[in-house]
Amino acid sequence: MIDRIEYQDYVTKTQPKSPMVRTLFAAFIVGGLICCIGEAIGDIIKVIFKEMSDKDVATWESCVMIFLGSFFTALGLYDKLGHYAGGGSIIPITGFANSVVSPAMEYNREGVFFGICAKMFVIAGPIIVFGVVASFLVGFIGYFVV
Amino acid sequence: MRTFEIKTPVYIKSGFTIVGPKEGDGNFGDCFDLVLKDDLWCEKSYEKCESKMHRDAITGAIKKAGMEKEDIDIMLGGDLLNELSSTSLAARNFPTAFFGLYNACSTYSEAIIVGSMLISGGYARHITCSTSSHYSSAERQYRFPLELGNQRPPTAQWTVTGSGCTVLSCEKPSAINSRVYDDDIIAIDDGINMDDKELEKYKKSIEKQKKVINKDKSNILEENFHKQNNDYGVPSSHCVRITGGTIGRVIDLGIDDEANMGAAMAPAACDTILTHFKESGRSPDYYDGIFTGDLGRYGKETLEYLLSKEGVTLPKYYMDTGASYFLPEQKTFQGGSGAGCVNTVFNAYILKRLQRGEIKRALIVPTGALLNKDTPLQKETIPGIAHAFTVESEPLN
Repeated sequence: MIDRIEYQDYVTKTQPKSPMVRTLFAAFIVGGLICCIGEAIGDIIKVIFKEMSDKDVATWESCVMIFLGSFFTALGLYDKLGHYAGGGSIIPITGFANSVVSPAMEYNREGVFFGICAKMFVIAGPIIVFGVVASFLVGFIGYFVV
Repeated sequence: MRTFEIKTPVYIKSGFTIVGPKEGDGNFGDCFDLVLKDDLWCEKSYEKCESKMHRDAITGAIKKAGMEKEDIDIMLGGDLLNELSSTSLAARNFPTAFFGLYNACSTYSEAIIVGSMLISGGYARHITCSTSSHYSSAERQYRFPLELGNQRPPTAQWTVTGSGCTVLSCEKPSAINSRVYDDDIIAIDDGINMDDKELEKYKKSIEKQKKVINKDKSNILEENFHKQNNDYGVPSSHCVRITGGTIGRVIDLGIDDEANMGAAMAPAACDTILTHFKESGRSPDYYDGIFTGDLGRYGKETLEYLLSKEGVTLPKYYMDTGASYFLPEQKTFQGGSGAGCVNTVFNAYILKRLQRGEIKRALIVPTGALLNKDTPLQKETIPGIAHAFTVESEPLN
């Protein structure tokens, strides 16, 4: 039989690879479009609520985007977009919403406590942990620098 | 010596298959006995659906062989879920001795080999060999939730939603298969162990299913009973015998990519095929049908490369059931995989061709990748296994 290292080399060389140009292009276009929609929603909120501060507008904008991400996940459309766009639809905040809602839907059948609540952050968990750790570090450094 | 020969005749009495809608659109679509319209089949979860498919595939195969549940001595079965849950839940409906087997996607050949050995040794007369897999339940156990918007890598395979069952017997099969009706498959099991409250619920759910079937939006998309490939009325000219096989060993060449299982399984298939030819003294030309399990398109290429290095060329009619399962436009990339893959193709396509006498001698090598969700995370590589069995068709009378 073939040698271990030789076989691994053969597999690395011959296995089908992702079409880089197509996937990167799709991710760029779709990711950009999602961000454009986000900006548009921010602008609309600004037009309707003229008194609102920029910080509040950004918060509301994120909320609307998270809602849209969850909504299209529930309709079963976001995963189809994801198959096509890859990173383009995972990186924006809508992708985060998708990664929380999809396990919640999936584990619905195991009940509310040990299904939805326990498994909801199976995929988003690391993001939250790193987010909290990073904000703590930045805050700690910022406290001494500023 | 890993190759063995079965001297006392062991016949295949019948085979029955149930598959999901995507499989029904695939290459073997019109060969299956039952194609479902949706992959939940009036159940609340995919696991329940898989278990039901498994149960009804066994019921269907027993009916098709013209037998009763009580005639079966031993049931052999397995699936991909943790602790063989769907097989065990299906087996509680039968008053029969039960062995649960697991060899990932090659569970089917394991069941056939163990079954034919048991019959040949005189320990049983009739045995069912069944396996099942379900795309949605496997995806959730091994990978990510269904609705998660991630991309599948180009080496990924698609777990087949399907279940099949073969009835092995020491008696020669009759030329005509018994007809299987909806009522045989969707009915209340007599031996079921339930309290009154649950039985009431169960009866209601069956009524509901029957209603769905009576409407034109029948849950069963197609009963292929009438199609030419399923000759229910036409007598088969040949009977099929299990003649031997080669038991595989676990081979690990250090592939650690869980999305590339074809490459992990190909060395095991290569080893089993080489051992089979060496120990039996046969050449590939001895068989007029060689089928591997779910290697997928890339795994098939790899196997051919590995064999060519050893100086063995497989004939043109060599087919990989996983690679040919789906049409290219169904976007499954490498093709089908899973415990139900080789099983449904064998029972729906290969067995029928054997019974018509179109194939005389066939070598079937289902392959399996032995991993669970945690082993790749613990930096373990993926071992592969392949068991081969040989079938021959003899003219009836």
